Amino acid sequence: MAEEPSEPHSIGAYRKAYEDGDSLLGFRSGCGFVTATWGLVCPRCGQRDLHVVRLSGRGTLAAFTVQTVPSDEFLNDAPYAYVVVELEEGGRITGWIEGTASEGALSIGAAVRWKPTYKPGVQFQLVGVASSDALGG
Amino acid sequence: MRETWVVGAASNRFGKMRESGREAATQVALAAIDSAGLRPTDIETTFVSNCFGIAERQAHLGPLINTALGIPEVPSCTIESACSSSSAGLHEAFVHVAGGFADAALVVGAEKLSHLDTLHATSYFAMGADYAFETRNGATFPGLYATLATAHRAKYGTRAEELGAVAIKNHANAARNPHAHFQKEITMESYLSSPVIASPLRLYDCCPFSDGAAALVVVARERFSSPPNEPLVINASVRTGSIADMHDRTTLTGLPATRLAAERAFRAAGIERSSVDLLEVHDCFTIAELLALEDLGFYPPGTAGRATAEGETQREGRLPVNPSGGLKAKGHPVSATGASQVAEIFEQFNGRAGGRQVPHPEVALAHNVGATGGSCSVHIFGRR
Repeated sequence: MAEEPSEPHSIGAYRKAYEDGDSLLGFRSGCGFVTATWGLVCPRCGQRDLHVVRLSGRGTLAAFTVQTVPSDEFLNDAPYAYVVVELEEGGRITGWIEGTASEGALSIGAAVRWKPTYKPGVQFQLVGVASSDALGG
Repeated sequence: MRETWVVGAASNRFGKMRESGREAATQVALAAIDSAGLRPTDIETTFVSNCFGIAERQAHLGPLINTALGIPEVPSCTIESACSSSSAGLHEAFVHVAGGFADAALVVGAEKLSHLDTLHATSYFAMGADYAFETRNGATFPGLYATLATAHRAKYGTRAEELGAVAIKNHANAARNPHAHFQKEITMESYLSSPVIASPLRLYDCCPFSDGAAALVVVARERFSSPPNEPLVINASVRTGSIADMHDRTTLTGLPATRLAAERAFRAAGIERSSVDLLEVHDCFTIAELLALEDLGFYPPGTAGRATAEGETQREGRLPVNPSGGLKAKGHPVSATGASQVAEIFEQFNGRAGGRQVPHPEVALAHNVGATGGSCSVHIFGRR
């Protein structure tokens, strides 16, 4: 988890970083709280000394759901999994797993990693599952 | 603070309205004023909620309602707190009246979304979440609550039949509520065979997209001491918040804003949970009712599902929950929901709830959540 000055700390920078396939950005505050959600003051401790961090994109599932009814931006991707990922560095991030028709191989604690994509949002894939098709059924 | 009462309330039939949100809001506002035995000119300030007015190409609804009520010079403002908008409006009315800034306030919430298709309505509902960090990553509103459900299931073993028991109970109550969107009972068989929307939540776990409107009249007892109906004495009016994005909170198996609101509300009212005779809680999805009962402190974490399956929260049970049918079956016209919960309690206190009447309630609690708990209202009502 490399730390950088707080200069690129904007929602646009977070989004550009993952859309470019460069990295997932977040911040770590003085209390140790890590999040991939933008803010100016830590919501846990109230400190302002936030350090932008490049997140590894590796973690485990903290919660998940398989959505059969999508929002408009995911119209052509349903069904898919919406997931909450517990990051290796601590803290959590949300994302989605493509081609997931049922809970199948999904379980809390399952290892996932960030998968850069041209599609919207932060996409993850299960570690050790060769193809997202294996989740179907 | 001055003693503050809800002396008038009205709701229309939830479901699909022919009227616009503006017309429905004005109709229920006038009905609430009439039920209070007051005239529109008694109203000194108006709090309006209409989250998705933009779907009707309309904002700044307050002056339109006040003008249509014949009180164009009365101030108004729009209160938006997602699904807890009109309970936030009630809180603002309470603050104004209890604090002596007004003697009578009008609270009105209305929503009309039935002219949108499911895809667009789903997208509108998701606007209460964080677009950049939740919705953009694929979340829908059922999806967000479904992640809470999977986390709750993993930690406590919550079963589908326990979620189903919430749906079956609330449909049974709504079947006795002429204002409810759904007026039919369902069975466990039909629940379990309903299609999955966001696992583990099925169609019958989800509230409908409803049109609807509800209004309340809030007054200072010292100025209007002889209302024609049994008033609701506001013993606590509490609003709280929590970290907006669910995944950044310390827990995924409850809503911190509800826990905080309950703690403050019971302290403000000076009563124990055992004194509460009925609850109207925020059950946008069945899992939300279980979380509410646990977060409000009526059941230890992980036990509300079993209690619900055993019938404790039915109308005739130890703790009647959502006798109106709740958001789940009465319907969820977002901005009208909070006011309609209180309108139900008003009818219950006045013995006019018909087939869903809880015998002579003395204390009731209304719990209303904004989105996934970024905001929350808890009101506790008693008799004079």
